[in-house]
Amino acid sequence: MAHKKQQQQQQTPPGHKPCPFCGTEVKYFDYKDYPTLKPYIDYFGNIRKRYYTGVCLKHQKMLKTAIERARFMAMLAYRK
Amino acid sequence: MPTLIPSSEDTKVYEVCVMTQPDLMEKAENQLNKEIDGIFSEAGAKVVFKDLWGKRGLAYKVGGHDEGKFTVFYIDADPSKIRALDSALRLEKGVLRHMIVIPPKGYEAVSYAEKYEAWLKNRETMSEMRAREKAEKMEERVREKAKMEAKRMEAKKKEKKVAPKAPAASLDTELDKLLSDQDLI
Repeated sequence: MAHKKQQQQQQTPPGHKPCPFCGTEVKYFDYKDYPTLKPYIDYFGNIRKRYYTGVCLKHQKMLKTAIERARFMAMLAYRK
Repeated sequence: MPTLIPSSEDTKVYEVCVMTQPDLMEKAENQLNKEIDGIFSEAGAKVVFKDLWGKRGLAYKVGGHDEGKFTVFYIDADPSKIRALDSALRLEKGVLRHMIVIPPKGYEAVSYAEKYEAWLKNRETMSEMRAREKAEKMEERVREKAKMEAKRMEAKKKEKKVAPKAPAASLDTELDKLLSDQDLI
């Protein structure tokens, strides 16, 4: 039990993660770049909340446009 | 890979992604490609870079097709003629869907077909890694279970060994006491 508790404490809580794109200063999300968009979409095809992914507001907005473009071109699903 | 810079001040670089029917015969396909090129030339657009993706599975059905052939054109065109180009592409029969996007300044055109294939290969190795990790975890669990069971068995054995001895000894002593007791006789 003690070991399990330690593991839970080591994981960063949602809402306190650094933005994964601010470190590398990403300026544009390409809608054709499936591998980078994929982790920000859940099983049902919805965009993951930035509270859980840790993405900052600026990058979340850029991600949103890229994902919507990819959805239009049938590279990503609207709804599964 | 080329960085996209417009040739003059009047033109802009556009990114046109075109999804065409996947099951066309060779002749029809060549004709379609020619027609698309014709549309570009009519609008006075120069194709700067072309990225052929080939067949790809779609996330949902488009025009009854599960697959689509993707091609990405980077064109240098006059902004006033883009609307005509858009409507012409919409009227084209073999084109399932298309999208015109203005890439940001200093955008480098990269062939995403190669990138995607490389990622697919990597992803396979990733899935293998996950399977291996799972197998290792299962092995550890089995080992722990075996250890726990061995401990339990040892504890049970000890209990069994200790339990019958104590009462037998005590019974003997009690019997002796009873026998030796002179008040009862």
